[in-house]
This record gives sequence, structure tokens and C-alpha cells, in this order.
Amino acid sequence: MWAAAWVLVLVWSVGSWLAEDGPLVNTRGWPMFVDFFAAALTPDLSAVFLARIAEATLTTLSFAVLGTLLAVAVGLVVGVLISETWWTDGSPSRGQAVVHRATRPTARRAGWLVTRLGLALPRGIHEAVWALLLLSVLGRDPLVGVLAIAIPFGAITAKVYAEIIDESARGPFEALRASGVRRGTALLYAVAPVALPDLASYAFYRFECAVRSAVILGMVGAGGLGFELVLSFSGSRHGEVWTLIFTMVLLGAVVDRWGSGLRRAGGRWRTGGTVLITAVLAIAALVHLAPDLSRVFTARTAGLFAGLVADLLPPALPDGGWSRLLEDSLETLQMSLVAGTIAGLAAVGVAFVAARSGGAGVGPARRLAGTAARWLLLFTRSLPPPVWALLALFLFLPGPLPGALALAAYNFGILGRLCAEVVENLDRRSHDHLIAAGSPPLSAFAYGIVPQAGGRFLSYGLYRWEVAMRETVVVGVVGAGGLGRLLEDQRVAFDYGGMSGTILALVVLSAVVDLISTAVRRSLR
Amino acid sequence: MRTPHRRLPWSVAGLGLAVALMASACGSTPESPGSGGSGAAAAAEQEAGPLRISAIPDMDPSDLAEREEAMSSYLAEELGVEVEYVPVSDYAASVSLFATGDLDLVFYGGLTGVQARLRTEGAEVLAQRDIDEQFRSVFIAHRDAGLEPVEDVAGLAELADTRFTFGSESSTSGRLMPSYFLDQAGVDPAADLDGEPGFSGSHDLTIDLVESGSYEVGALNEQVWRSRTEAGTVDTETVREIFTTPEYADYHWIGSPALDERLGDGFTEDLRQALLDLDGSDAEETALLEAYGAGAIIPAEASDHERIEEIGRTLGLIR
Repeated sequence: MWAAAWVLVLVWSVGSWLAEDGPLVNTRGWPMFVDFFAAALTPDLSAVFLARIAEATLTTLSFAVLGTLLAVAVGLVVGVLISETWWTDGSPSRGQAVVHRATRPTARRAGWLVTRLGLALPRGIHEAVWALLLLSVLGRDPLVGVLAIAIPFGAITAKVYAEIIDESARGPFEALRASGVRRGTALLYAVAPVALPDLASYAFYRFECAVRSAVILGMVGAGGLGFELVLSFSGSRHGEVWTLIFTMVLLGAVVDRWGSGLRRAGGRWRTGGTVLITAVLAIAALVHLAPDLSRVFTARTAGLFAGLVADLLPPALPDGGWSRLLEDSLETLQMSLVAGTIAGLAAVGVAFVAARSGGAGVGPARRLAGTAARWLLLFTRSLPPPVWALLALFLFLPGPLPGALALAAYNFGILGRLCAEVVENLDRRSHDHLIAAGSPPLSAFAYGIVPQAGGRFLSYGLYRWEVAMRETVVVGVVGAGGLGRLLEDQRVAFDYGGMSGTILALVVLSAVVDLISTAVRRSLR
Repeated sequence: MRTPHRRLPWSVAGLGLAVALMASACGSTPESPGSGGSGAAAAAEQEAGPLRISAIPDMDPSDLAEREEAMSSYLAEELGVEVEYVPVSDYAASVSLFATGDLDLVFYGGLTGVQARLRTEGAEVLAQRDIDEQFRSVFIAHRDAGLEPVEDVAGLAELADTRFTFGSESSTSGRLMPSYFLDQAGVDPAADLDGEPGFSGSHDLTIDLVESGSYEVGALNEQVWRSRTEAGTVDTETVREIFTTPEYADYHWIGSPALDERLGDGFTEDLRQALLDLDGSDAEETALLEAYGAGAIIPAEASDHERIEEIGRTLGLIR
């Protein structure tokens, strides 16, 4: 049923875009697109520029490190609290009153729903929007960048951690609960060992995301690589842009390698090393950014905060009223769905190629393809969506299509990497047994891999769809419309009431997608 | 309560460390040079620090930085204070930072200047360039759009049903006034163009996007257009000017209301005078004026921008 609805909406969206009169493809922009990529061969490597980039990289990294650490802390605590596993009822203890037993499941269900929806608010707001809201209270304090990452990422991490916990070892957990073990203990013994690789993997992925988000935050004024990128891009200095892109790809590669090395080795000293490096990075970040906490607790900041809250409330409708809001919401949904679909399909295809497969039976061609696929994924996710949007404009005429494609390209890189990790973390035994028992590779794949990987792929895909929806905010440059465009209009006019209305609309969309995603996954479980 | 797992969850351990570090860093921050001496007294107002100047990011950022650095050294010499240039990459963020008291002197466009003053009680208009009294925008079109140069504002009616891009959303010459003139010609940018109008982000990008054919028509700051065509960095075979708008008041300098308190009584007046004294009496000043594209710096008043405010309110850019 879900699949049918999905196909229908997809066909309708793409159909309505294609049906619009007028050409879609911008043939005249192609030479500029070629020019831009040709500049990749001549990046700006002057000492002055490289020194500036080094400093900018440190800034971006600092925001990412501090933001991620805060986010993971929030994610671990809140993730457990919003998991269905945590809220499932244990076996009734002896002596429990009958009435009490009847009401408890409802209360638990409500508890789960409330915490879950409570997270939709911070998560429904893009980092860039958080940064702009925080900026008008905290000013130039680097805490703006750190918190802008930590708040929405904390919420997203919590959601994903909850899902990982729910996907992991439900059986053993329920068995322990049934034998009267307390929730916390059961979670620690049944779920934690199984979920840990995925939790750590996601934390690392989050860190990589935080690096990219820090870049986007730089584009709205936090400083660092994004800021340099804006400077170089708006000066049309493509050589500099490419130096920055290579820096971001390199940074992504280092983090990626760090994460997968940690997961593969799993030895004590590696883990110890990671803790040490994390600590060193955290210290370096604090020294480099020197966030001025004294500023946070002043009457002035309190006054600015009160002013912002007063400006934001009550939420107002945009100029076009409800019809404008609904129309833009619909467009945002369409764009995100198309982007998510393209990204998801391409990512699953590439994931199996990109996954590092151990074993001696792997040929050199397979290795080469794997490396190429990993670099492709790394490259596509290293360019922030606004940059993809500008590139899409070289190829397509303005409209929702280039917006969706820009988001698709970026999310393809992210989803591809997530899916590849799922493939790497797969328990291959059933697949190998099937092969050993003489099963043809295709059916071994279908019965040994798909049941395990399918759920995770879908889970990540659905979650990325939701993220893509929020990211429509940052591809405004393509005139793609949707709530992102509306929010930007309201931001530049300092129409805070309208902004909070639009943000609420985005939050509601997030919540709807969240509920759909839960329903879809439950229907498959 | 230990996990049976041998491995330490790195995230938990790393986090514990970081939290501890953050706590210790809170204590040590006031001594670090980065925090600029604030916080020691835990006072709400900062002590006399550098004069922080900024400008909206309306042009090639490295040229902008060069110009503002030159202005910094001029003001430092003239006023005997430390001056710091704070680059900001977004118009609206610049307005917010001025309101939070993080910027002391900003060279704003007409619209952003009005927005900044409305959001910052007591902010003062200090000066403007001679060209700002009569600033203009140009409309440019891709050759293949088949548009002819027009004589007057009414002629802009031919832009209906074209793919059109503005510059930055908050730009006076790249958005507000072009939008206003289109409206005068009976073209509603929200409804009468081919699709939604684009927002390229800067005047330079507007030229690039029209040159690439992504948009058929664009509007931008006349000064940027002239300097790009003179420098030969735009293919005038492909892109051509079709209209130069009537004049309006644009850029001006605004001073923070906290200036006198932070840097001494009468500082605002000294600053105003220092800007007006920029008359090209030596080579450095001449070069600085040239970087601003100005012949002289002249007095400005809040009332100069009443029309901009009115248009901004009509178009919903000022609330």
C-alpha cells in the first residue's frame, strides 16, 4: 500500500514538472559547467590561500567536533527514552493490580508518542535556521555554530539511535524483560552489544555530517570553510573553489577512514586512540574558538532572547495565507520525495560496490570499482547542497527539478555511504551458508542479504527523505520554491512571526514523515 | 553496572572527557587572549575594545576585504583606536549582528541600513558616498532572450514572462528597486515572470547566471556592471544592458548606539568627521575613495532613506 502511494506521488510530482510548458534543460549553460569542472585541474595552491584554508579548516572542524559531542550526548540519553523498545511493556510483575495493568500500556504509548513528537521541533529546523535564530541572540559568539549543530543533530541522533535500538535484538530484550529484568539492565545486556557498532558508526557519520553542516553554517556567517567557499564562489574564482572542495573531500576521507578503521579493528588501543584524538580535537576546538560563555549569562543576552521569543510569537501566516502555505508545503514534499527517491535508488545500487569486502577471493577489478565508488560517494557528499544547486543551474533551467537534483546528488553521497556501512556490518553467515549449500548467488543474495539489509536501507532512506525536506531551505538559489523559499523571504524581511509559522509547517511535515516512516517500517517488521 | 562488552563505548568516554574539558575551559576562558578581556568583570557591556567595522557582502569578497582593510587602517590612524574589519557573508546576518552590538560601523545598502536602524534603537546615520544620493540599477539580458533596450520604466513591461533573477534578497540595487520598477511597469515579480524569480546571491553571480543562460534577464548594481564591463570580465556579446533605472538613495554608513559608551564621549562625532574628512588629500585617501567608487564622502541623514523605507514596506521587506 505504501509502495503504491509512493509511486503515485512520485509520478504526479515529476509529471507535473515535466508537463509545465517551456524547456527544462539549459543547453547554453553547459560550457560554463565544463569550465567549472576544468578548473578542478588548476586548484589555487598559493601559500597565502593554503594558510587561510588551514585556519578555516580548523574552524570548521572545531564547530563539528564540539557540535557532535554535544549531539551524541543528547542522542544517547534521549534515544533510549524515545525507543519503542524502552516503552514496551514488560511482563506484569506479580501482585500488580488489574486496573493498573490495563492503563499502563496506554500511558507508555502516550509517553513514547509525546517524547517522539517533542523531538520533531528541534529536528524540523535546519542548522542554518538555528544559526540565524541563535545569531540574533548570541551575536558573534562561536557558540552559535556549536549550538546550531548540537540542537538539531542531538534530536536527529536521538531518533536514529532509537531506531537502531528498536531494530536490534528485540527478541533477547523481550526475553530478558519477560524474566523480570529491569529495563535499563535488559537494554545494556541485550541491545547494547548488538547495537554498539551501529551506534558508533552513526556517531562517526554524524561527525562527518557535522563537518558538512559546519561548512553550510560558514556560508551563513559562522566562518570556516563555508565562508571561504562563499567568498571564492561569489568572486567566481573557480580555482579557489576547487581547492576548497578538495580540502572538504580530504577532510571527509580522513574522518571516513578513521571511522571505518575503528569499526574494523575494534581493538582496545584503537578505541583508546579515538578517545584520545577526540579529546585533543575537543581541546583544540575550545582553544581555537574560545567561546565566550560569560556572554551567555548576561542581562543583555536575556533581553535579546526575550525579544526574539516575543518576535516569534504568535506564529503568523505568510502573505498568501493558508493557500500559499499549503502550496509551498506540497512543493517541498514533492521536491524532497523526488530527491530522496533518486538518491535512495542510486545509493543502494552503489552501496554494494562501495562496501569494503574482506576475504581473499576479491579480484583487483572489484577492488578498483569499490574504491572508485567510495570516492564518488565521498565527492558527492562533500559539496554542500547550495553548491550542487548552482551546478544544477548550469545544466537545467530554474525550477523544482534542479532543486531536487541538487538535493539528490548530495543525499546520494550520504545514503550511499550509510548503505555501504550496513553492507559491511552485515552478518554474512546465512548468505555464505546458502552459497556453500549450492544456492545460486542471486537467491543467496535475496534470502541471505535482503532480509537483513532491506530494513536498514529503508530506515535510512526514509530518514534522509525527511532531511532532504529540511534541506530545501538551503537550495533557495535555484528559485525552486517551496517552504525554503518562503522562509528565506521572511528571514530577509525580519518577519519573525511568519518565520515561526513556516518553521512550524516544516516541523509538521517532519512529524508526518516521521510517522509515515514508523508505519512503513512496522508494516515490514 | 558495567557492560559485559570489553570495549569502551568511545562516544560515552569521549563525551565525558569533553564535558570535563568544557567545564574546565569555562574557568580558563577569561585568561585566554581570544576573549578580549571581557568577562573578567562579568559586566554586560564590553570594555573599550577595537572599533569593529563591516560592510554588506555586495561585491567580490576579496575586493571587499581589501577595501575594508584599507578603511580600517585609515580610521585607526585618524582616530587613534584599534580597528578590526569583520567580514559577514550574508546581508540579514549583518543586520542581526549590528543589532546584537557586535558591529560598530557598517557600510549598509539603503534597505539593510533602514532595517538595521529599525532593529537597533539609537543607531546613527553617519555619512554616504557622493554617488549614493543618485544610485541606479541596470537590467541586463541574454542575447537570445530577444529583448530590446528600453527607454523608460514602462518599457520594462517587456520583461513579463521572462526567466528573471535578482541578486541578494536584501539588496537595494539588486532586488528592492528593480522589484519596485518592475511593479511600476505592471510586472508583478511574484506572478508575471516565467516561474519564480531567482536570487543569485550577489551582483557578480547575477551576471554569470544571465551569461550562462540560466536566466534570461537580471538586475544589478550599476557600479558593479560598469566595473565588470570595463575590466572585460563579461562577454558583452552575450549579455547586454537593456535599461538603467532612475536614481534613488542607496548606501550609507551607520554607527552603533553604544559607540560613545564603549570608546569615549563624542566618539560618534569623531567617527562621522573622520569619514567626511576622507577627501583624497593624499595618495592613500585617493586610493580608498577609488575603492569605494566615490569622489567624496558627504553628510547623510536618516530622512534620505524615507522613500526606501516606504518601498520596503510596500514590498513586504520591512515590517
